[in-house]
Amino acid sequence: MIRGIVIALFILEPPREDPVTEGRKLSIDGTKLSIHGVLQVEESDRLSELLEGHRKAFMSAGCFDIDFADAPGIDAIPAAVLFEFANSLKRAGVRISRLNAAEAIDNLFKSFDDNVSRVGSSKKLNGLHEHFEDLGEAIATFIESISGLWGFLCNTLNTLFDTVRHPGRIRWQMVFYYMEESGVRAIPIIATLTWLLGTVLGYQAGYQMRAYGAETFMPALLAYSITWEIGPMLTAVLVAGRSGSAYAAEIGTMKVRQEVDALSVMGFDIFGYLVTPKLIALICVMPILVLVANFAGIIGGLLAGGIFLGMPASIYISGLSSALIPFDIIWGMVKAIIYAVIIANVGSYMGMRVRGGAAEVGKATTGAVVMSIFFVIVADALMSLLFVHIRPGISM
Amino acid sequence: MAASDAIIQVSDLSGGWDEKLVLKDISLEVKRGKILVIVGKSGCGKSTMMSYLLGLNKPWKGKVIFDGQDIWESPEVLEKCRRRWGVTFQSGALLGNLTVLENVMLPIKEYTDVPHEEMELVAYSKLETVGLADFADSNPLEISGGMQKRAGLARAMALDPEILFFDEPSAGLDPVTSAQLDELIISINRSLGTTIVIVTHELASIFAISDRVVMLDPEKHGIIAEGTARGLRDTSDDPRVKAFFGREVVQAAEGRS
Repeated sequence: MIRGIVIALFILEPPREDPVTEGRKLSIDGTKLSIHGVLQVEESDRLSELLEGHRKAFMSAGCFDIDFADAPGIDAIPAAVLFEFANSLKRAGVRISRLNAAEAIDNLFKSFDDNVSRVGSSKKLNGLHEHFEDLGEAIATFIESISGLWGFLCNTLNTLFDTVRHPGRIRWQMVFYYMEESGVRAIPIIATLTWLLGTVLGYQAGYQMRAYGAETFMPALLAYSITWEIGPMLTAVLVAGRSGSAYAAEIGTMKVRQEVDALSVMGFDIFGYLVTPKLIALICVMPILVLVANFAGIIGGLLAGGIFLGMPASIYISGLSSALIPFDIIWGMVKAIIYAVIIANVGSYMGMRVRGGAAEVGKATTGAVVMSIFFVIVADALMSLLFVHIRPGISM
Repeated sequence: MAASDAIIQVSDLSGGWDEKLVLKDISLEVKRGKILVIVGKSGCGKSTMMSYLLGLNKPWKGKVIFDGQDIWESPEVLEKCRRRWGVTFQSGALLGNLTVLENVMLPIKEYTDVPHEEMELVAYSKLETVGLADFADSNPLEISGGMQKRAGLARAMALDPEILFFDEPSAGLDPVTSAQLDELIISINRSLGTTIVIVTHELASIFAISDRVVMLDPEKHGIIAEGTARGLRDTSDDPRVKAFFGREVVQAAEGRS
């Protein structure tokens, strides 16, 4: 039985012979390579091995002949291997001759000859030069999309002011639909996440501050950071992820299905029909979402104080009330309106930029989220730097 | 008067996408009440031509004149012109969040203030014309491709346009459905006198419905032949025209028309 297995193994994995001695399809005699039968794709590795093994011999003899007398044809891949090898010899001054090649083989080699100059002109992935080129292209695209976005923003705001003057033109049905979709449905996730963040932040801050006996300032710290930064920012990031992408996908799909063209041919104002309802809806719901986020975050802090730090609710609340002024809440809502304008515009703009097929829609969706968050953070940084002094009670 | 004979005049129009030139110095006329078919190989600029005729894109150069008015003269002119046009897109381009009936009512709502009942009545009768009255409440994405196109046609006809544009009406349809659509187009043209402009490369359709054919060519970026379908096939010496019209399918189409 063991003998049987050994035999079977031999059958499965026949011992490799040198292709030359194999004498089946390829044979080399001095400087002449003879091919017998149709050389196939699987045999290219063997061919290449064989040729490399004899490279020195061809070089020293100064000539290399390929005899196709027995070959009715050849697959393109082994032919290319042969061609490249012959070319490398040719560059070293070796004389190459093709003997007895059938017309089809000759044509194949001729077409290699015609195209050899093109090889490498198609974009290569490596090379420093190409990387810089890509980088430059990416920057140019980015700048172009920012300028495009600016034009788009002007257009939407224009339409918005126009529609505000004629409220009858607003498609309220759509506005309410988007308010529900982007606002009401976002409440659970926004409330949960800011609540968790508030808890973590309250615990971490209180824990660190206790070392200095300063844990009574935890409510103030928490209230500032949540109302000024975390509440509006987290809301914006979540809305960008949920709704900005959805807007881009919706408009992008309509663009692919030519619905946008159909609407404009029917004389619809595209901005008024597709963009304004989203913008109005987000402007209405984002401040409310920020309120929800602030509330949940502060409750989270209260829990952290009570459970982990043993801080009574009364102290937490009195700490809050001495630190927080209505301005903080209102400022967060103002920020939310600016974020709403950014998210609605970027989402719609990326959707409008879709041209071509469904793959573009996916790119637009991703682009919408990334770009929205980017601009939200840039806007936040600008507002924080420029307006930190406007809060009553802060003096530097 | 010559001007009243032509409903659309295109003069010296050039244009393309991004930096790439697609159409160069095109001039053509669409005669009132006739069916003009724009043909050519893929990539010859048929759809680009259509987007210029519809005022979806502004040409780089040249004019599109509809009924004596340059459509790019001002946004108001373009809007007024569009009201007199009906367009059916390749895919039907029905809005997926509305029903078929609501889609047909869309242009009526946009342009008129008639009461809801009247709107619905008109929409139903247009759907009847294209044989889709029973599908009024369907979602456009749930009906077949041929039905979507017919619903798109009903929507295009909602405001009784003077001119109807079709972008590849037979694309993606089987020959029988395609032929039915052709018959529908002919019957609209004959009974209502609507001028029709069609972009297609379907030979059977071309022979069945065209009054006149304009052939575009990707290499020349322009018109290489103009005339009746049969005239072009039988008399043209241009090898590109011959190659386009000289396929066997022509015999089959001829037998039908």
